[in-house]
Amino acid sequence: MERVLVNIPSNPIFERIVRASADELGQAIGLPPERVEDLKLAVSEAVNNAIDHGNRREAAKLVEVIFALDADKLEVRIRDEGEGADRVDFSRKIVEEQNLDSGMHRGFGMYLISALVDDYEISSSQNGTVMTLRLYRKESAHE
Amino acid sequence: MSNEVIRREEFGDVAVLHILTTSVDTNSAVAIEATATATAMRPITVLDFANVAFINSAGISALLKFVVSSRKAGNKLFAMNVSPHHQKIFKMVEMSRFMPTIEERDLAAYR
Repeated sequence: MERVLVNIPSNPIFERIVRASADELGQAIGLPPERVEDLKLAVSEAVNNAIDHGNRREAAKLVEVIFALDADKLEVRIRDEGEGADRVDFSRKIVEEQNLDSGMHRGFGMYLISALVDDYEISSSQNGTVMTLRLYRKESAHE
Repeated sequence: MSNEVIRREEFGDVAVLHILTTSVDTNSAVAIEATATATAMRPITVLDFANVAFINSAGISALLKFVVSSRKAGNKLFAMNVSPHHQKIFKMVEMSRFMPTIEERDLAAYR
């Protein structure tokens, strides 16, 4: 297994560095272009969630991202240094007419993660939250 | 160097808002939202995604401000030059219901 580690401060500008890493790694392991786009978006959402909701944008707190590659998959682990989450909602979120005027436009991120990766898991404690995303190199590998 | 995120083009009843940033995300959302005022809308407003390589949920939230502003003004909002990936994402969150795709050639009649 090969591993790439990226640590970023809790500032959204650095999310772009993690996203660029996901782009390079996705291409390097031969994911189709559409799957690379799925990977970038899922990683972006997970990292922004760690920055905003985990570390609450406290710049001193880091978000640690580990890309682990093996023969059949790319696994991405995103760890924050927050106080943990009671519950993370991955249910489907859509733009709803009745919410447009109220400005309640958030909450798409976790749904997008759940829909775009092959599988995912989340664990949380008072020491932080770890989200693990997996994309398989071939569709048959996880069927 | 310009920090402009949207370049405006107007003809007749149409405003085309060319998004200049390649990344519609947390970092560009505030600047994008600031341009989504009701006065910026025309009877037909088109967001041009030709330069956009990436959109995440924070970006979608920013784009929804255009939906709100256009609805308030009673105008129509369209998207053009949307990549297949972003079309997929817009369908997933049903953004495409409020901002359907239009082809650039369909605007020719208004020029």
